Amino acid sequence: MFLRLAAVRRLGFLRIALWSVVVAIILVASKEAPAEYGDVVINNYSDGAGMRPVVFPHWFHRMRFRCKVCHADLGFQFKAGGNEINMVKIIDGQFCGACHNGEVAWSVENCNLCHSAKPGTPTQVHESTIQKLVAPAGQGARK
Amino acid sequence: MSARIQGGGSWLILAALALASGGALADGKAVFDKTCAACHTAGLLGAPKLGDGEAWAPRIKTGVEKLYASAINGKPPNMPAKGGASDLSDGDAKAAVDYMVAAAQKPPAKAEAKPSAPAPTAPVAATPAPPTTAEVNAFNRLLKPPSKRNLPPPEDGIHDPANDGTHILQPPLTAFDPLPRSTAGNRVNWVQALDGARIGPRWDLKDPAAAPVVMDLNIVREVKGSMPDVVYPHKQHTAWLDCSNCHPAIFVPQKGANQISMAAILLGQKCGVCHGKVAFPVSECRACHSKKKDFLPAKTAQQGGG
Repeated sequence: MFLRLAAVRRLGFLRIALWSVVVAIILVASKEAPAEYGDVVINNYSDGAGMRPVVFPHWFHRMRFRCKVCHADLGFQFKAGGNEINMVKIIDGQFCGACHNGEVAWSVENCNLCHSAKPGTPTQVHESTIQKLVAPAGQGARK
Repeated sequence: MSARIQGGGSWLILAALALASGGALADGKAVFDKTCAACHTAGLLGAPKLGDGEAWAPRIKTGVEKLYASAINGKPPNMPAKGGASDLSDGDAKAAVDYMVAAAQKPPAKAEAKPSAPAPTAPVAATPAPPTTAEVNAFNRLLKPPSKRNLPPPEDGIHDPANDGTHILQPPLTAFDPLPRSTAGNRVNWVQALDGARIGPRWDLKDPAAAPVVMDLNIVREVKGSMPDVVYPHKQHTAWLDCSNCHPAIFVPQKGANQISMAAILLGQKCGVCHGKVAFPVSECRACHSKKKDFLPAKTAQQGGG
């Protein structure tokens, strides 16, 4: 009886080991994110709120506005996740809300256009030098 | 005991799934003829043609799973999910992909067989040609291959393809097409794009006529070793940025007051606040290190010799 229990337990361990190998393979395989250079993922609160994290495409915005508009006039710090943006501020017309108000650009009811990252993607500037230097294993810089 | 039965059960299910997808293989041609042929025979809207080895090769290289995903979820801007036939099962879509991939791989195999001439082993040529180089031994393994650059959002690895909004977002390449290219970053030369008025980014949120006050002042920083000195152009920077973006927080506006090193830049400080994140990356050494040194050692050597 005891022997059989032990066998079952060992099988359980084997299965757990097998699954953890599978998960590890998936993690390693998914580490390579060929995202567009400068895409910022912002995940200060999204995961916790059950939303997909936000992807901010720098390339799309710099074709329409010079850096100064957001980084001087609107007060965006040069730091991924460093602005503590939340939906209250956006609806109040701060940060993204200065444009994404239905007048300059489409408004906040298009949740899924911003909240479009894979769940669990950490806050970081994708393809950045620091991402490659500090987080080569794909865990992402915790910033 | 129960654990063993469960384990066996899941393997059985896996085996059944494998069989099911194997069974669907045979229908690939039927699915193709019914659903895919409209575009993939003539090559409409940029669709890779059936049997066009050249068009398919880079796609096949990205892996069959990617192709399956494109067939099932669609690939903006032109490929609709399941070719527009939403009643297709995932297995049918995959079978059609397998059929097209097999068709694309056949002609090159024959072409190779011809020059090698009197090979009597004809049946061997009929099997699909093996991939030329294993992924791990690929040339420049750690560099991003062209097939992985500027991917559309559903394929870029950070956007969630299961999110409907992801498929509405503009794929970068459709925007970059008319812009001057570069060899790093977004592979767009943003400074040239702005100078050549290929893009017209606003200087003010609301006022399209507002223009920056561009300051044309080069700062030369002498650097150690044989590396060319750095020429910092205010001109290109003030076209995009406000003085307050850099001064005084990142750079004290005073000669000799700023310690800058490549280490700091690589870690995202000083120039690295932008270069290596959005502006051209640090791989482009000569874009900054652009002023050849007056070569002092040669001079002293001449004096010594004379």
